[in-house]
Amino acid sequence: MNKSENKNQLQDEHQEKISDKIQQQKYRISELERENAELKDALKVAKDANQAKSSFLSSMSHDIRTPMNAIIGMTSIGLSHIDEKSRVQDCLFKIKSASSHLMSLVNDVLDMSRIDSGRLSLNKEEFSLADLIHDIAVIVMPQASQKNQDLQIELGLIQEEILIGDSLRLRQILVNIIGNAVKYTQESGKIQVCFTEHYDDSQESQNPVIWFDFLCKDNGMGMSQEFLKRIFVPFERVNNEKTSKIEGTGLGMSIVKNLVDSMDGRISVESQEGLGSSFHVEIPLLISPQSKQELSLPAKETVLIVESQNNKIFQITEYLKDGGLIPKHITKGLDAVTWLTEQQYEGTMPFAMLLGQELEDMPALELAAHVRQLAGQDFPILLVSEEDWAQIEYRATRAGISAFVPCPLFKSRLLETLAGFAGQSSRKEGPCASQDFDYGNYRVLLVEDVELNQEIAVEILSFIGVQVETADHGAQAVEMFKASPEGYFDLILMDIQMPILNGYEATKQIRKLPRKDAQSVFIVAMTANAFVEDIRLSREAGMNDHCSKPVDPERLQEIFRNHFQQH
Amino acid sequence: MQPYQEEYISNLKDISMLTVRKAPAGLSFEKYFQELLQERRQVEQKIKRNMELLRQELFPILDHIHEADPKILEELQEFAGELLYGSGRKELDVGLFCQIHKALLTLARLTKDRNGMIRELYWLGMGYNNLCNKLIGLDRSKTWKYTYQMRLCFTEAAAYLKYYDEIEDADTRGYILRSRANMSLGWFQTPSDKIHMVKRSLQVLQDKEYQEKEPNLPWERYILMTHQQMAASISYSRESTMTFEDVIDIMESVYIVHEKQFQEAAAKNEPPLLRPQFSYYAIKYYCGLNTLDDLLTNMELLMDQVEPDDFSLDGMYATISIPAFYCQYLNDYPERIPKRAKYIEGLYQRILDYIDVFPKDSQNEALFLYLRQLSFTFLETKKSISYKEFLQKLQIRFAPDLYVHSWIVGKGAAALCEKIIEEDPGFFDDIIMIRQITNPEEKREKILTYAMECGLFHDVGKMNFVNLYTQMGRQWFEEEYEMAHLHTLIGESCLSARVSTQPYSPIAHGHHAWYDGSHGYPESYHRLECQYRQMTDVIGLIDWLHDMVSTQRLYMGFEKSFAEAIQGALDLEGKRFSPLLTARLREKEIADQIELALTEGVKEAYQQVYQQT
Repeated sequence: MNKSENKNQLQDEHQEKISDKIQQQKYRISELERENAELKDALKVAKDANQAKSSFLSSMSHDIRTPMNAIIGMTSIGLSHIDEKSRVQDCLFKIKSASSHLMSLVNDVLDMSRIDSGRLSLNKEEFSLADLIHDIAVIVMPQASQKNQDLQIELGLIQEEILIGDSLRLRQILVNIIGNAVKYTQESGKIQVCFTEHYDDSQESQNPVIWFDFLCKDNGMGMSQEFLKRIFVPFERVNNEKTSKIEGTGLGMSIVKNLVDSMDGRISVESQEGLGSSFHVEIPLLISPQSKQELSLPAKETVLIVESQNNKIFQITEYLKDGGLIPKHITKGLDAVTWLTEQQYEGTMPFAMLLGQELEDMPALELAAHVRQLAGQDFPILLVSEEDWAQIEYRATRAGISAFVPCPLFKSRLLETLAGFAGQSSRKEGPCASQDFDYGNYRVLLVEDVELNQEIAVEILSFIGVQVETADHGAQAVEMFKASPEGYFDLILMDIQMPILNGYEATKQIRKLPRKDAQSVFIVAMTANAFVEDIRLSREAGMNDHCSKPVDPERLQEIFRNHFQQH
Repeated sequence: MQPYQEEYISNLKDISMLTVRKAPAGLSFEKYFQELLQERRQVEQKIKRNMELLRQELFPILDHIHEADPKILEELQEFAGELLYGSGRKELDVGLFCQIHKALLTLARLTKDRNGMIRELYWLGMGYNNLCNKLIGLDRSKTWKYTYQMRLCFTEAAAYLKYYDEIEDADTRGYILRSRANMSLGWFQTPSDKIHMVKRSLQVLQDKEYQEKEPNLPWERYILMTHQQMAASISYSRESTMTFEDVIDIMESVYIVHEKQFQEAAAKNEPPLLRPQFSYYAIKYYCGLNTLDDLLTNMELLMDQVEPDDFSLDGMYATISIPAFYCQYLNDYPERIPKRAKYIEGLYQRILDYIDVFPKDSQNEALFLYLRQLSFTFLETKKSISYKEFLQKLQIRFAPDLYVHSWIVGKGAAALCEKIIEEDPGFFDDIIMIRQITNPEEKREKILTYAMECGLFHDVGKMNFVNLYTQMGRQWFEEEYEMAHLHTLIGESCLSARVSTQPYSPIAHGHHAWYDGSHGYPESYHRLECQYRQMTDVIGLIDWLHDMVSTQRLYMGFEKSFAEAIQGALDLEGKRFSPLLTARLREKEIADQIELALTEGVKEAYQQVYQQT
């Protein structure tokens, strides 16, 4: 190799080294650029996270502060009006409402945190779909009625009612979605909710699965297509003038999505701004192996349905037919009275009457009260209604309703309730609000001087099923009470006008006796003296209730129902 | 009838006479007042006696009704009949009537006495119908209950029509047919419902088969009365709900009910009565044969035709009832008011003049009924008399005892308010019209005047139940107590509808509500949402105190001195009454002033009644 060749070689090597170095530098630069970009991204993520955190904190502090302010403010107002019971009561109600809202915020945050950290576990327990849906109705119906919205809860084909899954979480999903529909739908808006089920034919498993299908559709404010893409992102809410006053953290839908995912379910949303939204949820649930209960329904007995809502009539009719009963449908209260009068005259009374909540010509309870008189105490009158039973129980039982079947109507509920009355007439037991209530352990002292009246009352009481002992006048009643062991008599039916000792005096003497049950025994005045003063005098003498004569069996039943079932 | 039943009826008639304010007839006020107090005492004695009769005689029978012999039951029915129809058009005691028939119905049901059940259902339906008539003018959602009860009774009795052949008793057949016809009494949700109901009744009544089986029944009367119902069914109809078939049915009945009357009058060379003429015009309007303007013009012509001293039933109807309908149409179509405002103003003056010259001694139920009808449709224009003035005149003339009570409550309330604002001038500042007044003296005056007027109008709703409140011959039954609750809603509804009386409507609405909301009525009053609540509390307290010590106690079965009443109010402190008010009752000076106001007020109020009658 000559010198020039050496030189060239050296130059080449040098060149190569330089080139390597350049490459290395380039690589380093690109590495640095990449790292830089990554750092930038990380910084952006950190900034976004920080932003999200700030936004979360800001949102939470606002959302927490609002109910907290209400709690502090209402507490101060309450304290400054401490002598005004009604004012304080009003403050306490408002504090209670703000506290529940606060609690739901905290729960949402906790749920989200559990989901994020993967600590959310789902229960697998047996539950009744009917119970679940009724619970949901009780929660959401009042919210919708406050906004005068038409919230319709319908049942499609429900094939399995006892399922296995996490009913609490399922309830959370459904209440969240319907609750949002109520919140974001204007006053007098319309919300339709439908529950159905379909079998999963694709799965072959030892544990059969059914898909629970839920659809909630409203005609509320809806969402933009852009927002729909972010609907399940935490803390995202539709922000505009209309929503600014609506409470919420923006966590609800994110929680719903995560819960549905963890149940291996599916959720989809369709919405159009200004027109409304539609949420569709499908969740696979295990079917309980629990065998279906055999019901003892009277075969081919007629059941009168008095209802004017077409959708309900169809459903009730089908359910009754499935139970082997013969439905007879009437839409008007007056027609029902005419038909029942004819059936009674001909000795072909139906097995029961199912009373809907809407009749064409009168309120259902007015009809119930008359039919109770017409058909007697042992005729089952069932109210099938969307109303909350707790709200109407007092009025309904006073009107003579024997039992309540809540809507949305489940076949099992309807037939089970009817089955509760089967064979009842042969047992001569009068139905009551909870028809399986047994009065057999209760003992009544009947104080009545007129033999015939005593006989009639004993007859009525034996229909009801209580044990009866009789006294012919007040003095005898006092002696019998004295001679009995403590707690022996649960109730005393006391006539007022009696020889030897009248009802007022007898009651006063009983109340004065030095024994524990002297104060607690329930005493009912039974008299034709029906003036307001008489009622007051009987109370002043120590009686607890009043029943006018001639004794109306339904009124006696009502008294027993109210007293015994609450004690 | 049994002697006790005759005595009870006779006492009721006496009470009814004694409670109607007579013209002073030249008596000095002192003499008039003394006579009045004497009459009050007689009324109280008769009420007490009636209570004795019921407790000692009637209630033991109801107590032992299962063993009562048929004669006693027959007498009970006769007695009940007298209670409803014993005094011509004026019912004497519809509450007791219903009570007796309810007992008889329960007995019939228990003993499975079919004919008895049909009869008692019919009579109970009639009793409910009477109750429904008292509630004219009140929002129907509040009164449907009574209409349903009535209709359900008639429907059940009418259901036996299917077994007409099997039921051989002529009376029972009559009850079934009458029940069928009465199913269409009262209000229906739509005119078509009522028209179809009447039409079906007419088909039954005109069916020869039914007639031939019981030829002695007054078929013509049944049919005519059913046609009357068809013709009357139009009065609340709306054009949009009428079908041409409905129009045909109605016109048919109109021909029978009204046109025949016109023809008969023409044959006798007499002018036709004004009432059927109005009905005829109204039907033509409803059936689309005339416009509303035609109807209003025709009504004006009819109202102008009546003589100012025509005190016949037709004259009263034309003078008062037709104007009530006239105002109702204008209320429904207010765009027509400006054109007819002048006529309205003259109309009210004419009515007041008519009442002034109306024979004072007559206790005319129909006149009062028509005036109540006018009160519900009253149309207040800028130059017409105010509703406030009209109501006051109505109370003084037709319900003087109610006016006296109202005056006393106003006076007592003003006395209490005066003491309250001395200590706390801003006590009533929740009321916007009071808060806006800055001058203390002016504010004081306004509060006192307002308290007095709130007293005067808090019970106007009771005018629908004068029989219950001032002409009752015994204590109330529970159902009557419940019905009496409606006076708060009626009062609120009348007062809130007119500008001159709006400030008093919350007081009429809430004066029976409890301070803590736990009891009282009506449910629609929400104390904390009402800016007038402090004044409502004041009126509620004074009203209660006066009820405890006045004749009202007889109906409720209380008997308290003023001191006992004060103690009663203190016992209800924080529950029924505001503690801010009851705390002041502990001060003897304030309690004395209220007592003075209650006692002095009686004479003052009667003096006004004396002057205006």
